[in-house]
Amino acid sequence: NLVGVRLAGSQANTEGPKTNPLVSISDEPETLYKRVSLLVKGHDKAVLDSYEYFAVLAAKELGISVEKVHNPPKTVERFTLLKSVHIYKKHRVQYEMRTHYLCLELKYLTSSTAAVYLEYVQRNLPEGVAMEVKKTKIEKIPEHIREPIWDTLPQVEETEVKS
Amino acid sequence: MAAVSGVAQARAGCRAGLTRYCRRVVLAPFFGSAAYSSVPAVNSREGQQTEGSARRRGRTPQSVRAHIPPRTERMAVDQDWSSVYPTAATFKPGSVPLPVRMGYPVKRGVPPAKEGNLELMKIPNFLHLTPPAIKKHCAALKDFCTEWPSALDSDEKCEQHFPIEIETIDYISSGTSIRNPKARVVTLRVKLSNLNLDDHAKKKLIKLVGERYCKDTDMLTITTDRCPLRRQNYDYGIHLLTVLYHESWKTETWESEKAEEDMEEYIWENSRSQKNALDTLIRIKASENVSNVTKEELLASEVVKDYRNSVVALKNEGETENNMSRYKESVKKLLNIQVSL
Repeated sequence: NLVGVRLAGSQANTEGPKTNPLVSISDEPETLYKRVSLLVKGHDKAVLDSYEYFAVLAAKELGISVEKVHNPPKTVERFTLLKSVHIYKKHRVQYEMRTHYLCLELKYLTSSTAAVYLEYVQRNLPEGVAMEVKKTKIEKIPEHIREPIWDTLPQVEETEVKS
Repeated sequence: MAAVSGVAQARAGCRAGLTRYCRRVVLAPFFGSAAYSSVPAVNSREGQQTEGSARRRGRTPQSVRAHIPPRTERMAVDQDWSSVYPTAATFKPGSVPLPVRMGYPVKRGVPPAKEGNLELMKIPNFLHLTPPAIKKHCAALKDFCTEWPSALDSDEKCEQHFPIEIETIDYISSGTSIRNPKARVVTLRVKLSNLNLDDHAKKKLIKLVGERYCKDTDMLTITTDRCPLRRQNYDYGIHLLTVLYHESWKTETWESEKAEEDMEEYIWENSRSQKNALDTLIRIKASENVSNVTKEELLASEVVKDYRNSVVALKNEGETENNMSRYKESVKKLLNIQVSL
């Protein structure tokens, strides 16, 4: 079972923590992800299609809005090798490796929702399939960039400023 | 396997303790169920000490067990499938009640059946992730999710309240190592209109930053990967932003030497165009023998202001139909040229 940490900030699931003993709420403010983009790579398109059905259904069930699901074009890496161990240069053999892609773009996730969804989806990633997760986090401007400090600092000598 | 070598040594070695040895080995699971059925056979063959008897032990006719029907025949139609395949597992033909066929068909035949089908076993199956199973998992996971704040329902509102965007990439792949050196790259994006900058600070920041600023989208992009950890790269990115911000507010002594070539936009005041226009107007007035008009009066007059606006628009925005026609009108008014059509 996942022992998850549910962070504060929402008033919707007030029933949840009371009935579920595994959920714990902390006071930290949640980090917000404007967009989470999943790029899944595999050698077999049928496996990726099944995975797409699974990931989209999981997102829908957990209440995550799916912005776009598309298949970037496949890349094929081909190389030609000599067929024989010694001489016979005219006889070669060619191999190719096909990589199919699947891109899922999700919008507006909180950090706990993202953690839950990504862990669920990654634990069920089939063997031989790779994934890249690009997260875009949004933040406020930090305190020290609000105002230039030169106004608040006391009068400093010329030499100190130069060094 | 230790039992096998023990038996071989016992046979090659002393024969006195043979009976006891054989009995002990047979009781241990040697050939599975065949071991128990072969007990009387072994005892009767004690007299033969050849090597062949060692191999023939498990192959008596009694070792053929009765054929048990597969589990599929005992499955109900409305069974709970998530208990048959709760986790990812290989395809078991006796557990999947579907007449699946996979593989290249024989000549004038059909693809091979599911019994003993390697192709079906090799491919990853999603039998553990049927829609009802997914719904069950998500229902259990729903408690751990939180809702997105409803006030931030559009990109513009996110931009307004949270101007800085930080992009990180995680990599998952099967291999000997879970680490990926590309995972430490952090990209920081911010729009300069959201930072507290005045005119001089903004121009200085753009000059400091160079390639990383995009004029069309007004976006500053800082990509850091010089530290080994992602958190360090993020801290370094924020540090860079802080330093840039504060440095751009400072005015150095050498900044007063800024020449016309360094200017980002065209300023008409104290430019050659202003000088030429004023000179021309003064000479026109002198030739008409009007009393000396001062420069300030000329600058304040409508025609000169119109000319100034059209020249600034031409230089900053480039040559468009609109700009060119405005310039034409303003020059005509300035020099009092009446074009008789």
